[in-house]
Amino acid sequence: MKNRLKVLRAERDWSQADLAERLEVSRQSVNAIETGKFDPSLPLAFKLARLFGLRIEEIFLDEESSESTS
Amino acid sequence: MFCSIKSAAQRRFVRTCWMSGGLVAVLAVAAAAAFRLWHLKGLPAYPVAVLPALPILWVLIETGRYLAIEKDEFQRNLLVQCLLGGIGGTLAVTTVWGYMEDFARAPRLDLIWVYPIFWLFVGIAMPVVYRRYR
Repeated sequence: MKNRLKVLRAERDWSQADLAERLEVSRQSVNAIETGKFDPSLPLAFKLARLFGLRIEEIFLDEESSESTS
Repeated sequence: MFCSIKSAAQRRFVRTCWMSGGLVAVLAVAAAAAFRLWHLKGLPAYPVAVLPALPILWVLIETGRYLAIEKDEFQRNLLVQCLLGGIGGTLAVTTVWGYMEDFARAPRLDLIWVYPIFWLFVGIAMPVVYRRYR
C-alpha cells in the first residue's frame, strides 16, 4: 500500500531507526511499510497516525478509492 | 536463526533453539547409554526413548510462545512465512518419499528425520522470505 511515511519522516528529520524506536518495532519493519511491501495492522496504523498527529487516510493512500474518483 | 536479533522475544527464542540443540545431543547420548547398559525393554524403555524428543517439543512450544509475545508484527509475519515454507517442504518430501517407499522400494525414511527436515526447509525459506522485503 502506498503511503507518505518517507515524506512525513523527512519533515521531522527522523531516520527509519528513529521511527522504529518510537513505534517499538524493528527498522526492517519500518522499511517494509515505507516501501509498501508490508501493510501494517490497524493498531500499528493507528499508532503511526497518533505519532504523526494525522488521520490514517492522510498517511496511507487508498489506491482503489483514488482510481474510482479519477 | 534471524538475520540480526531485534527484540527480547527473538533473543529468548534463539537462546532456546541453541539450548535445545545441545540438550537433544546430551539426552540422545544418555538414552543410548541407558539402553546399552540396562538393555531396556517394554514399558520402561518408553520414557527413556522419549527423553531426546523433549527439547524438541520445548522448541515447538517456544515457537508458539514467540509468535504470541513478539510485538513486532512484521517480524512475526516473516517467521510465519518461513514456518509455512518448512511445513510445505516437509509435507512435500515425506509424501513423495512415502510413495517411493511403497511403490519403488526406496529405503525407509525414519520418522525421526521429519523434525530436521522441517527446520532445513525453514532455513531454506528464510533467505527467500528476507530477500522479498529487502
